Order: sequence, then structure tokens, then C-alpha cells
Amino acid sequence: MKTNIFLMLLVAGALCAVQPVQAHHAFAAEYDQTKPLTLNGIITRMEWANPHGWIYMDTKGPNGAVKHWMIETAAPSQLSRHGLKKADFTDGMTAVVKGYQGKTDPGLANGRTLVLKDGRSFYIGSVGGPNDGAEPQ
Amino acid sequence: MAYIRHHAIPAVALSAMCLLVGCSKPAPEQPPAPAAPPYHPVASIREVMNSVIDPNVDVVWNAVKTDIDHGKQIEHAPANDEEWAAVRHSAMTVSEGANLLMMPGRAVAPPGAGSLAPGIELAPDQVRALIDKSPSGWNQFARALQDSLQPALAAIDKKDSLALFEAGDKIDEVCESCHQVFWYPQSGASAPASASTSPASAPAR
Repeated sequence: MKTNIFLMLLVAGALCAVQPVQAHHAFAAEYDQTKPLTLNGIITRMEWANPHGWIYMDTKGPNGAVKHWMIETAAPSQLSRHGLKKADFTDGMTAVVKGYQGKTDPGLANGRTLVLKDGRSFYIGSVGGPNDGAEPQ
Repeated sequence: MAYIRHHAIPAVALSAMCLLVGCSKPAPEQPPAPAAPPYHPVASIREVMNSVIDPNVDVVWNAVKTDIDHGKQIEHAPANDEEWAAVRHSAMTVSEGANLLMMPGRAVAPPGAGSLAPGIELAPDQVRALIDKSPSGWNQFARALQDSLQPALAAIDKKDSLALFEAGDKIDEVCESCHQVFWYPQSGASAPASASTSPASAPAR
């Protein structure tokens, strides 16, 4: 019995340990609507997960320094509804993400649109984002 | 005959008295004072969210996902009975935790606590006012949260990771819908279609 409880706690701990904090907050509490940004870089990783997806992108600054971005997206069901698929995330892919800067973490952003190298564009914004015309009507 | 007349008069009188007593209203009784509820809320709603709901719903959400690392899809799902049991434990905790949110007498936040994002998210007294204005709406959202866990529990019992993943999306819809009404109704963001005062009329996002 003790072993089972220990294993359950271990599993639960392991499941939680690698996750970013996912507490719900208003969009404006976490992201700055006055700081839109356009990120052009290489997507290294995509977490296709609830309640939000996460795109990990590397961009290069003017001095060549690489900056790592963590970009929140809508939930996978929303991404799928707008035509994006897991298979669209390929090794070494370049893409352009438009979104908003995080308020506290300089490497955090909220994505609104994703444009792939082949020209396809997808709405990736979370519910509750600003009325900026990015969301298809 | 005289004997009958002699005894009949008291008998009739006695019967009449009995009828009068029987038909008269009983003395009004004071309604019993409502018993104090046996439960005692200790945590505020904010603390229940942070201590019970949030960490456990994260376990449900994170149980199934795909990590696409440099184009390689790595699927994550509970792999054995112990892992499924851990997710079920969390799903059940959230489901029952919804009852905690509905208990009357629970403070919104600890004494003296303010808004977590002033100007964007409401202060506890503002949240309180919204709940008091629509307690049935509040309870409906809490019930909707509880109900949203049922597909997740069913998926867990079938060890159906795809169904659990899809259930996770529905849980988030309920969370966000309630937050848009009671926590940050005027956050400056676009109002989602699901931001109604009742989850019953909330269309799927």
C-alpha cells in the first residue's frame, strides 16, 4: 500500500515537474498588448498540449546572438480547427510568429499568427486575446 | 326516558367540547432555528483553486500530450496502472473540488488579499459582489466544471488516452468561461463567445 502511494506520488510529481506553470490568468495580466512583436526564426520544439500549446523558437539578434522564445498558443483543438497539424512541425523549420511580448519574462510571448515557410498562415491565438483582427471571422 | 335525558345532556356537552378542542388550531410553534452547517470552510476560493483545483487539473491536462522535438513526435500518455491511477486521483479531486467551490460561506481570498493583477483581474470584494449577484450562475459554472471531468474519468477508466486528451480541452473551456465572468470580465481582451453568465448557454469555442 505504502509502495503504491509512493509510486502514485512519484508519477504525479514527474508529470508536474517538467511543466510550465499553467495557472489561468487574464491575457492582459501575462502579456503586454502594447508590445506586439514579430519573431522570425527556427522552431525547435512544439508542445501539443492542453490547455495551451507551446512553440519554442530560436531567433537571431542583429549581433548574431540566439534568443530562445517560448510562445503560448491556443489549445490543440483550436489549432486543429484552424488547420494546423502536428505534422506541420518539422525538423529545422523556419516560421514567422506574430504575437505579444510577455510582461515579466523577456523570452515569453503569446502567439497570434503563425506563417510557415510554404506561405500557409494559421491563427494560433488563445481565447481572450486582444481584438487585433488576427482572429478569422 | 328520564334516565336517558339526564345522562344525554352531559354526554353531548362533552362531545361538543371534544370537537372544539379537536378543531381548534394548536398553539403556534416557533420554527426551529436552522442548524449551523456541520462543515467549516477553511480555505478561500483562491486557495481552493491554487491548492486543489489547479495542481490536479494540470495533472489531467499533462497526462496526454505530444512533444514535437526537432520534428520528432514523442507521445506522452499514462503507461501503466499506477500512472492511470495517479491521473484518476487528480481527476476525481478536481471533480469533488468543484463542490468546495459551491459551499456557501467561503471567502473569495484570504483576508487582506487584493487582486492578483490590479486593473485587469477583479479584487476579491468585486468577485464577491458578482457571486452574490448570481449565486446560481456561480454554482452552475462549478457544476459545469464537475461535469466536464466526467468524460475525463470515463476515458481514464477505459485507459483511452485520446479521449482523455479531448476531454482536457473541454475542461479548459469551462475554466475560461467562468473566469471571463467572475474573475476578469473586463480585462481589455476580446470577449470569448463562451463568456456568458451561465455555462448552459455557453457555446463551444
